[in-house]
Amino acid sequence: MMDQQFATELYPRRLHDLEEQFAELAGQIPDSPQKQALSVLHGITQELWRNLRQQGTPLAERGVQLQDIADLYQHAPAMEGAAVNEPLPVGSAAPDFALPDCSGRLISLSEHRGQAVVLVFYPLDWSPGCSQQLDLYQQEWEEFQQRGAELLAISVDSLYSHGAWAAVRGLNFPLLADFNPKGEVARRYSVYREADGFAERALYVVDDEGIIRYSHVSPFLHHVPDLAELLTTLDDLTARQAA
Amino acid sequence: MVVGSSYSPYGRRLAPPRIPVVVYGTRWCAQTQMVRRYLERLGIPYEYIDLERDPEAVQRLKWLTGGSASHPTLYIGGEWLVEPTMRELEWALARSGLR
Repeated sequence: MMDQQFATELYPRRLHDLEEQFAELAGQIPDSPQKQALSVLHGITQELWRNLRQQGTPLAERGVQLQDIADLYQHAPAMEGAAVNEPLPVGSAAPDFALPDCSGRLISLSEHRGQAVVLVFYPLDWSPGCSQQLDLYQQEWEEFQQRGAELLAISVDSLYSHGAWAAVRGLNFPLLADFNPKGEVARRYSVYREADGFAERALYVVDDEGIIRYSHVSPFLHHVPDLAELLTTLDDLTARQAA
Repeated sequence: MVVGSSYSPYGRRLAPPRIPVVVYGTRWCAQTQMVRRYLERLGIPYEYIDLERDPEAVQRLKWLTGGSASHPTLYIGGEWLVEPTMRELEWALARSGLR
């Protein structure tokens, strides 16, 4: 990182001062279409600068790139329904399962006995919330590794969809295909949305003996669970096992 | 400029930013979580405004960004970033000399 003192002198102070002036003026202008127009103009200025900074070879010339595919979710239809299921209770045995990953290899819960497992049920590959949620877990992958936890992500998508989606996003933890019978494992975990044909956004933490120690169903499909809470749960589990 | 929590959600005390960096977000937004953890890993001080707990901040943000209160929205030393990609965030930090 650049020396902070030097950086403080470097950043666009004039722009910052102007922004502060603009922020302060809000309170002096009564709510009106004129005020709204000023706000919109301010927003337009920001987005113009953003577009100028990003200017490069037009898409038609450079062709579609991997990042364009990864970013498709930004313009995909929203997924915002309320939860319709309650998770299995903490303290109950986690139902075992065996599902294929994107290479076709069957992965079971029981083969991870002896370590903590985070089961991540999510609605669908390629969708907005799911792309961001699994990007977050990939960015924080070391946090799971440091806690000795295995991460298994599960959706009703096929292993071929999982393979393409994981490659585009650079995901290196297993995505399991709850594809046939569709949603069977999600049903066992009480998180299948029958009317939609996919799972809730839900988390389970299973301890080294196969007991559910944490369960969470997001109140809305677009709500991604708080990562800090999940990591704290894993820390508590580690402390409990060490005691 | 804005007033918010001086603690990160991960319990770390945030130092007052020398180059103003402000993150407007929500607890359940994945991109907000990614941005915050990214800044913390780099040791970049920032102010966090939880839009669900600060209705005034929502109104302020709408004024400043053209009528929407999207999350995350970042303010970095005079520059606004509405729902930036991680690459845009990296560039903005570099322009401000923070990276």
